[in-house]
Amino acid sequence: MSWHGIRTVAALELRQRLRTSKWPLVLGAWFLLVALVTFLAYYATHDQSFRSGQAMYDVVIFFVLGLAMLIVPSLTATSVNGDREHGVLATLQTTLLTHWDLALGKLVAAWAISLAFLVAALPFLAWAWFEGGVSAARIALSLVVLVLVLAVVGTLGLMFSTLTARPVASAVLTYLTMGALVFGTAIGFALSAFLVTDTEARTVYGLPDSWWQEHQPPPLDPNDPNLTAEQREQLSKSQLQPTRADCVRFTRNGTVAHTERIWWMLPLNPFVVVADAAPSEPRPQDAYSSAFTPMRWISAGARMARNGPEEVVDECQLSTGTSADGSPGVDPMEKALGTAPVWPYGLGFLLLVGAGSAAVAGERLRTPIRRLPNGTRIA
Amino acid sequence: MGVEVQGVRRAFGDVLAVDDITLSAQPGEVTALVGPNGSGKTTLLLMLATLLAPHQGSIRIDGLDPVSQPREVRARIGWMPDGFGTWDALTVREVLHTIAAAYNLPADRARARTEELLTLVHLDDLGDRRARVLSRGQKQRLGLARALVNDPSVLLLDEPASGLDPRSRIELRDVLRSLASEGRTVLVSSHILTELQEVADRAVIVARGRTLETQRLDADFVTTALAAWRVDALDPERLTAWLADHHVPARRVGGGQTEVQVAGEENAARLLADLVRDGVRVTAFTPSQGALESAYLAATEDRR
Ligand SMILES: Nc1ncnc2c1ncn2[C@@H]1O[C@H](COP(=O)(O)OP(=O)(O)OP(=O)(O)O)[C@@H](O)[C@H]1O
Ligand SMILES: [Mg+2]
Repeated sequence: MSWHGIRTVAALELRQRLRTSKWPLVLGAWFLLVALVTFLAYYATHDQSFRSGQAMYDVVIFFVLGLAMLIVPSLTATSVNGDREHGVLATLQTTLLTHWDLALGKLVAAWAISLAFLVAALPFLAWAWFEGGVSAARIALSLVVLVLVLAVVGTLGLMFSTLTARPVASAVLTYLTMGALVFGTAIGFALSAFLVTDTEARTVYGLPDSWWQEHQPPPLDPNDPNLTAEQREQLSKSQLQPTRADCVRFTRNGTVAHTERIWWMLPLNPFVVVADAAPSEPRPQDAYSSAFTPMRWISAGARMARNGPEEVVDECQLSTGTSADGSPGVDPMEKALGTAPVWPYGLGFLLLVGAGSAAVAGERLRTPIRRLPNGTRIA
Repeated sequence: MGVEVQGVRRAFGDVLAVDDITLSAQPGEVTALVGPNGSGKTTLLLMLATLLAPHQGSIRIDGLDPVSQPREVRARIGWMPDGFGTWDALTVREVLHTIAAAYNLPADRARARTEELLTLVHLDDLGDRRARVLSRGQKQRLGLARALVNDPSVLLLDEPASGLDPRSRIELRDVLRSLASEGRTVLVSSHILTELQEVADRAVIVARGRTLETQRLDADFVTTALAAWRVDALDPERLTAWLADHHVPARRVGGGQTEVQVAGEENAARLLADLVRDGVRVTAFTPSQGALESAYLAATEDRR
């Protein structure tokens, strides 16, 4: 393996791609699509009290990831078996290029092209940044994660193209794997949530049922002038709002979903990884406007699933409208966002998958071959 | 040195492509590999070209083992596949530049070598065409140039002459001869026996994945080998009777001609002299098959 060898293969691949397919056209279409989506996001969320930067950032990043996950596999998913079909792979395998040169050269080429797509989307992220609500550091972090995720996707495609004889088969396998990562993990999580849901006794901190009974409004008409003083007191007592002082701890049976046992499915999803790595910033405390921030919701959801049900169910805040320190209640989503992130697990997993696929691909390109897949001719 | 193959066997699943092939090709010689379709020639060349590992037996190329030392072997060999695919987007020149880069040739050396080779295979005026639009014969010539990029000491050519026009074939012959005379080992598989006989020093006949025989193709062989001659006379009945009387194996072939089997040119000359002496009015007496062709047909006869 040498840099010279990798560069030779990558240059060959890039030249082939740039000349045979209509890349300027594809890149142009991509640019227009991202532009369209960004404009729509801007118009949909542009409002005095809204922070359109956040929404635009989320929409653009997700759109870029989704579209790139459709394009990038097509760069590598047929590259080895396609070359073999065209009779050009063996030509290189008998030269001084090693099997690693071939595998990594093809990867570098695919990666460079996916970088070109990301670069074409940069102006729109810059616009989102300009609108405010997202820091440049966050955009940079999500771009780094995107680049890594796309590299993994490309490597998966390359591996499948070394494993099957027919380009169609490897393309299908690659897209199936993408589907498993994106939809399979979500569906798997949703379905297995039933398996970890149970009825069990839980400690609750809140208003006991007896409180409400005590504060039943008496069957009296408050406007009746003939009320006794005792009845008047009864009436005013029933109009009292519960306060924190009324909250007590008690036990109650309830359904609990132990998502902390199955949360690990979520960060395997590239969308969750990207969303959790750099969700947009929390909206300012005083603003009651909400924004369209799917990345934030996904991130909070995944972290909540990881945290699992709380030891003590705090109903007090909900029923009294105050939290322990007297400030207006903490949103459980905000609370979850304050806990440890889940994306390092997901990214670690994806990088492991990528490294594994690269190793398989390299190994499958090694010659001389002892076992040839059925029905393939090496040249 | 050269190519040494000992008892090599290679199967694909339950298809035994190469059963037991033993051959040796010497430096400075052109060795021909001939055999019926599906006899395992291409498979053998793939094993020699470090692409396939043999399941049994041993291969030595310039004394090196392609399985354990593929890199060293690759530096020494030039391989021309039977079906030469090219990258559709590259020009002829770029194909050769890419191959040169793959052999770690520095860029200026690669350019010089490319021009040399394009001249050698007469593709200089097509250098800037896309490789995919070349005709079959032109592709074949590009394939030969590709195999020569790294100045190999062992050449493995799989049917290099297929698709070539008559002039290119003659030129290919000259190229092969001059490569051999520079001390390289040339192993070439082909179905065009008459041509092989002109260029090869040695022929290895294989069938059903086995070596049947190795035949030297020097002057000695040509003068002593069994060959077929076509004879025509003004009175064919007389000729047939004469041949029957003298127990010369003969059969009628198309065009009213008779074909006789004679061992060696010496005997052929004597047969003609005898025919003329006995008053058979011979109008034609020509070799109908080369010696190699006869040897090949004899060796692979049991196939029918
Ligand atoms: N990859 C493969 N998988 C299965 N069978 C194969 C494979 N490659 C070759 N064969 C079989 O092995 C046998 C030898 O094939 P090979 O290509 O070596 O023949 P060949 O001597 O080159 O024939 P030709 O003169 O037609 O080029 C054939 O029967 C072929 O079908
Ligand atoms: Mg063949």
